[in-house]
Amino acid sequence: MRVSVRQENLAKGLSIVGKAVENRPTLPVLSNILLSTEDARLKLAAMDMSLGMSITCWIGAKVDQPGAITLPSRTLADLVNNLSPERVDLLLDKATQTINVRCGATVSNIKGIDASEFPLIPENTQGDVVVSGQVLKEMISQTVFAAAKEDNRPILTGVYTEFNGNMMTMAAADGYRLAVRTTEIEQRFDKKVFLVIPARALAEVARIISDEDEEVSITLPGERDLVLFHMKNTNVSSQLLEGKFPDFGAIIPRSYNTSSVVYTSDLLRACKRAEIFARDAAGSAQLIVKPPKGPGEPGEVVLVGKSSERGDNTGMIDASVEGEPLETSFNVKYLIDALNVISDERVVLQSSGSANPGVLRPENRDDFVYIVMPMATQR
Amino acid sequence: MNRTILHLDLDAFYCAVEEQRDPALRGQAFAVGGQPDQRGVVASCSYAARRFGVHSAMPMSRAVKLCPNLLIVSAHFKDYHHFSGLVMARLQDVTPMIEQISIDEAFMDVTGLRETGDILARRLQNQINSELGLSCSFGVAANMLVAKIANNMGKSEAKGDGPPNAIKVIPAGQEAEFLAPLPIRELWGVGPKSAEKLARMGIYTIGDLARQPEAGMTRLFGKNGTEMAQHARGIDLREVETERETKSISKEITFTHDVTDGDILRRTLRKMCDGVGWRLRTEKLRGTTVKVKLRWEDFTTLTRQITLNHPTDSDTEIYETALILFHQNWPKGRRVRLLGVGVSGFDVHEAQLELWGKPESPVKKVDSKLQNALDKLRDKFGEDIIQRGSDLGDEE
Repeated sequence: MRVSVRQENLAKGLSIVGKAVENRPTLPVLSNILLSTEDARLKLAAMDMSLGMSITCWIGAKVDQPGAITLPSRTLADLVNNLSPERVDLLLDKATQTINVRCGATVSNIKGIDASEFPLIPENTQGDVVVSGQVLKEMISQTVFAAAKEDNRPILTGVYTEFNGNMMTMAAADGYRLAVRTTEIEQRFDKKVFLVIPARALAEVARIISDEDEEVSITLPGERDLVLFHMKNTNVSSQLLEGKFPDFGAIIPRSYNTSSVVYTSDLLRACKRAEIFARDAAGSAQLIVKPPKGPGEPGEVVLVGKSSERGDNTGMIDASVEGEPLETSFNVKYLIDALNVISDERVVLQSSGSANPGVLRPENRDDFVYIVMPMATQR
Repeated sequence: MNRTILHLDLDAFYCAVEEQRDPALRGQAFAVGGQPDQRGVVASCSYAARRFGVHSAMPMSRAVKLCPNLLIVSAHFKDYHHFSGLVMARLQDVTPMIEQISIDEAFMDVTGLRETGDILARRLQNQINSELGLSCSFGVAANMLVAKIANNMGKSEAKGDGPPNAIKVIPAGQEAEFLAPLPIRELWGVGPKSAEKLARMGIYTIGDLARQPEAGMTRLFGKNGTEMAQHARGIDLREVETERETKSISKEITFTHDVTDGDILRRTLRKMCDGVGWRLRTEKLRGTTVKVKLRWEDFTTLTRQITLNHPTDSDTEIYETALILFHQNWPKGRRVRLLGVGVSGFDVHEAQLELWGKPESPVKKVDSKLQNALDKLRDKFGEDIIQRGSDLGDEE
């Protein structure tokens, strides 16, 4: 193999696929990145067996002699990141499986492992669904944060993804909060298709989608339990999570006793201030909604964060409030998480009382809804 | 508003209790403590012994040299605790605002009570003298620092050979005046080193110190200096802390021989978690943070913790969380010298409600029933009365 690439392209490609390199893999070859020539491109690929995720990325190259090799990810990335932005020449010595890297005045030799030892990376190029890149990126960022981080309920570490009719739905929950985002798609699914995709893999997809990716096509699981996302120069494949995702439709409240509309940035800042003190109380902050005292007067949403050791914060936000007064408590971090991914100017906050879930959604939109359970005081 | 703080000190407490056990000791020079040939130390000594220069914390061998006829009595801590409890109960009858400093010493905040500080002190002293046969002294002042120093002064000013049974009152506003002539070592936080440093600056009495600008003291002694300067002026803003809050409950074990066997380590962990859970339930505490401590054979120690989103006192939940930490941090086969587990984060009384309100699983139900049954046994017979079946069979 004899290939030349631009240092910038190689560095970027390595940083993308590097996310699929396992920390402590069972097979030594899995701490390596596969480099393989394909027409006038160099393919980079990595596979994380424990997550069941692989990332493949193609970069432009001048291929003088085709070939393939796997190289230790850390060594290669550290080296390439420290090369000057020039042409990098890669030359493989097949006999020793060592690659010679030349760039400007530096020469390195990196010992690799035969490419045949690398597992097969799924590479179906045929997409089943096409979604706008920016919409998918937003859908993922609006749901993935709500997935469970620890795996005492493994199914909740995934994002439930459904195609039904002209609608695509993504939903994630960690048992305490739920985020659901929908969008219209061009294809029509006469029969509902649903899968649960690991949040970790989706987070990578969202990270990779760039402004250049007008469209992302998705290959739905066929014979293998895999989903594939095809971006412009990058593929992400992921195994699916097995198990039944809990029924979330039933827990989205249909009615409320109190509804407040506030500026998203006001509420976010009030939450962040309350959180400074709420940290010591498992994040619990009090949320008080005061309806207007009379016609023509504003209502108010009050957030209180308290630490018995460090002090407290009370924030008052103007709100247009409908319904009854409300006093409840939420893990304020859960509110911050959701407000961080709502770009709309105003949000609606609804609740039916301190033992009922709170509902947060962008004003005048029904394609995103966030449900968060309150915190109850125990003694 | 001026506060009224009482400081109570039981006079030669251990000795006073010993005299009740054995009235023949009355008036004798005797000391409670260990035998001189076993490196014993004087825990408490009678006023008769004090006249020979014997004082507490002195090696018994030296005490015997000073006072050759000294009678040595071994301690009966059970009785001391019993009497201490009786005294504290009498204080509790007056106010719950009590901070017990040690077995024979306590502060009370009696601000705003109907009786004034000196009348209350007199009444309590009479009660403790007559009902319990114990001598005690009181300091009365507007803050803890002055009350304590007043008590020390009152006792040393007492006349006669017996216990002082003193009461010394410093009226509000006269704190600085009272402290001024006293040597600086009487102040809290002034140790021998600071005293030496101050002496070099020509500061010998609290009054000398009070004349120093606070900023200068802060520069010389840091935060401690600020406090010293304030104390010297008779200012002490600390409040009587009614309860010393438990910050964490933990258990740890240093193995006689380093352990590499995962099963033994897990079993030990389980047993310690059961113990921690039991103590949490006895003290009616629930914590959100579970901590595991591991020390390797080279004495490097690591502690790792997980914060749950709800407070717990469940043995099984503590164990399951501790086990995650253990497995994350114990490289299989690594020699473990010490293993510990603890629960903290008690000021969280909030529980995160769940979306799918967890129907209690049958296993969990059995588990909590079992836990209740075990608790009853432990309450009755002590912590080690019962153990898990997995602990049987290969006692090491």
